[in-house]
Amino acid sequence: MTGPARVRDIVIVGGGTAGWMTAAALAKVIGTQTYSITLVESDEIGTVGVGEATIPPILLFNKLLGIDENEFIRETNATFKLGIQFVDWGRPGHTYMHPFGLFGADMNGVGFSHYWLRAVAAGGDPDNHRFVAEAEALRLGRFMRTPQKTPDKPQINYAFQFDASLYAAYLRRFSEKRGVKRTEGKISTVARHPESGLIESVTLADGSTVRGDFFVDCSGFRGLLIEGALQAGYEDWTNWLPANRAVAVPCDRVEDPGPYTRSTAVEAGWQWRIPLQHRTGNGYVFSDAFISEDEATAALMRRLDAPAQAEPRVLRFVAGRRRKGWVANCVAIGLSSGFLEPLESTSIHLIQAAISKLLALFPTTRNEPELAERFNRDLDLQYESVRDFIIAHYKVSTRDDTPFWRHCRDMAMPDTLQAKLESFRARGEVMVENHELFRETNWFAILYGQGLVPEGYHPLADVLSDDELKLRLAGIRAGIERRVAEMPSHEAFLRQCLEGVTRR
Amino acid sequence: MSRKVEQVLIVGRDAAAWLTALALQRAFGRTGVTVRVVELPSLLGPADVYAAVPSLTALHGLLGLNDHEVLAATSGVPVLGQRFSNWSGAGKPFVHGYDTQRVAIEDLDFLQFWVKARAEGLKVELEDFSLAAAAARQGRSPVEADGTQVETPVAPGWHFDGRSYVDLLRRAALSAGVEGRAAGVQAVSREGDRIVSVTLDDGLTVAADLFIDASGAEAVLIGDSPGAEFESWRDAFRADRILVASAPALTPLPGHSEIAAFPAGWLGLFPLRDRTAITAVYDSSVMSDRDVAQAIPVLCGRPVIGEVTVEPFAPGLRPGWVGNCVAIGGAAVALEPLDAILLHLIHTGLSHLIALFPVDADQMPEAPVFNAGFASHVRNIRDFQLTHYALNRRFDEPFWDRARDVPVPERLAERFRLFEARGTVAIYDDESFQEQNWTSIFVGHGLIPRSYTPLVDRVPVEEQMAKFRGLLARVAEEVRAMPEVESQFGGAAR
Repeated sequence: MTGPARVRDIVIVGGGTAGWMTAAALAKVIGTQTYSITLVESDEIGTVGVGEATIPPILLFNKLLGIDENEFIRETNATFKLGIQFVDWGRPGHTYMHPFGLFGADMNGVGFSHYWLRAVAAGGDPDNHRFVAEAEALRLGRFMRTPQKTPDKPQINYAFQFDASLYAAYLRRFSEKRGVKRTEGKISTVARHPESGLIESVTLADGSTVRGDFFVDCSGFRGLLIEGALQAGYEDWTNWLPANRAVAVPCDRVEDPGPYTRSTAVEAGWQWRIPLQHRTGNGYVFSDAFISEDEATAALMRRLDAPAQAEPRVLRFVAGRRRKGWVANCVAIGLSSGFLEPLESTSIHLIQAAISKLLALFPTTRNEPELAERFNRDLDLQYESVRDFIIAHYKVSTRDDTPFWRHCRDMAMPDTLQAKLESFRARGEVMVENHELFRETNWFAILYGQGLVPEGYHPLADVLSDDELKLRLAGIRAGIERRVAEMPSHEAFLRQCLEGVTRR
Repeated sequence: MSRKVEQVLIVGRDAAAWLTALALQRAFGRTGVTVRVVELPSLLGPADVYAAVPSLTALHGLLGLNDHEVLAATSGVPVLGQRFSNWSGAGKPFVHGYDTQRVAIEDLDFLQFWVKARAEGLKVELEDFSLAAAAARQGRSPVEADGTQVETPVAPGWHFDGRSYVDLLRRAALSAGVEGRAAGVQAVSREGDRIVSVTLDDGLTVAADLFIDASGAEAVLIGDSPGAEFESWRDAFRADRILVASAPALTPLPGHSEIAAFPAGWLGLFPLRDRTAITAVYDSSVMSDRDVAQAIPVLCGRPVIGEVTVEPFAPGLRPGWVGNCVAIGGAAVALEPLDAILLHLIHTGLSHLIALFPVDADQMPEAPVFNAGFASHVRNIRDFQLTHYALNRRFDEPFWDRARDVPVPERLAERFRLFEARGTVAIYDDESFQEQNWTSIFVGHGLIPRSYTPLVDRVPVEEQMAKFRGLLARVAEEVRAMPEVESQFGGAAR
């Protein structure tokens, strides 16, 4: 039989969250019976993950792997997450939430936000969080898993916050059990076929060679294969997202921190606070054009709410996207494919999105330019829509109290975002497209939360009679109250999970 | 040789009993008629309200009741109309204002000009030309705190706290010479279609020449009279429950009641000085009593305070005069409290009774005349109420779809047809509501005339527009001349 050689041997370069997520998913879906999966990593190279926060699609990834959620929580020191609390973002002293749940419920094909805006215009309560069950639970520090489709009670959407190193270790055990081969070593050179340009093998520092048909570059910011060998190029988005540094440090856990991530806008960027079972992850994302690394580190340490558990570590990055995420027989997944600050906890999701896309477009042979083109186009859309969502946090703010925030106020924004903001201002919706991760409900939470109040709403929201609208709103609110009333505290529920009391 | 009516016995309760007692005492007391009342236990709770159309003022005048005293005793407030909301789904609410003068241009009804102008693009609503509606919307009424009224061509309707109003009527009746006794009825002694005497549960037997049944739906006397069968209107009116409740007082006090449709019926908000009375009239097969009670704070946007009571309701009419027994109020006719009509139904019955008061205690040929006249009035009122239901535009809701689809009485269908064809309201004998009232609710509910009388075209367009401007200016000026209800009856005046 002639024809191009089929892909059989897959090599993942780099461990960490991206590498082991990829290994676990491939091991589960394509298996190691007809394929070989090798992951090359070096213990010398530290992984970036500190406290890692996720968004609800992580549940799909867990489901794909078929892992037990309680076991996963125990193994990764995870806590539940109902959303993000944004402090001082719209203006100093102001707090709002981006909960994971739906804002109310659509009626007659028109989004809830329009009806709600109508009710507010008629003198209703302007607190949008009253109509999101997750926001209510978040505010009260409560959590539980809910069965799907309970009549007259909303479902609770959630994600996790966990220790990324423990997550990688957990997925490594999962992968190795399913036949993924781990090779220890640092990559020294990458060998490409002189004519086709396809990667043939990687050579390690000890001189050994790992051959492969298809390579996944999970080597982090450097992009050893995708950039180092294949020169895919990098599109720099610093003009829209000026932050280029993060300093991270874990500190002791405080009493009952609540099921959410906190993001606080500060002088030259923002700080994250991610509570785990055993400690709290903290970090300061900033631009070194506005604050030095030392000053930022000092500011972060000063603002910790408990004693630090380690020395702070500084990470350097450039916001942007690899021009091509799939070149020849190599796909970049994780930081090698681009970097967006973790303001909306999208890092793991972008890994997951690339993995799903790779599985959907899995190559038959070593060279599949059509599949690569499709992959790159789809991932570009994902990246760009997440990028716009993150930029919106900076642009919609009224903060102008420091040079950094004045810079954000004055900086340009992508046309795609400009169009969204104009649409939102006029009629309370940004017109999301199908491929976008963040939906109208998310955009509403952020833009309204940051202080952008729409001037109008969808005209069809006026069609419902006033009494019907009041009854529906009250019905939704009552459902939320019923739901939240039955929820235990996050701490109590987490304890139950860890004791194995609740069963899925 | 006829025998004069000398003894009248009223068996009943609440406003029907005491309005009748006071009216008969004042009309016939000096002619030697003795008026006695057997007062049955009240059916009113602390949340009940009486809402009245402006005609009540005339009745009060006959009864010697002073507006100021009535308002002061009953937490009462004057209103210039009723606002109907949600009857057309998301359509705009409208105010049925209590105007007393029809507005005309060159002796042609103003509506005719409005229809023409509207067809040519005029955007001003008909109710903007209604002085009562405009004043009601702006929270004004002609009534001042001391009960006097500023000079203006509108007349207020009223809201009174139910129990306080009955207490006031009882006091007035007793002090006018009516004999009252609180008791229940144990037995009614009859001879043919006539009542001989009533035996009370305290053992007393009372004979009389004329018996008045003012007992409400219980119809304690007339219910068993031969030929007084109740004609049910359940087919036309599906609501089978009346719920009453209270909410905190509104600030500022509005100038109107609010009559809001909801999926199972309608909800009335009647502002009083110290609370807001709530009445819900609904079909319990569409929404349960519990669901309605829970929905009320949501629909009103106000908490419910105090007790909530629910009574069954069965609409219909019976011959009000059989033998020597006349039924007044709920014993004769059961209509929803829509259009603030309940006291007016008592008033109508009393007007007929006083006009046809029997000359001979033994022969009462007045009965069929009374029955025909009263029934004719009531049927016109019923049709006015049916108009709200029939013209509703709430689609895909079973209660409201049915209300639209159920055939209306032929006389009402004719009114619709004529009005739609040329903006003319067919007015019959025995009307409680006048041309401007019918016009207001027809147009308010969206029945807009297709055409208008050709006489309108005699008036040049410029002149017509000038007249419109003049009318609007006059409305604005007249409204400004009225005090705000809040300033007279709310806030510090409370």
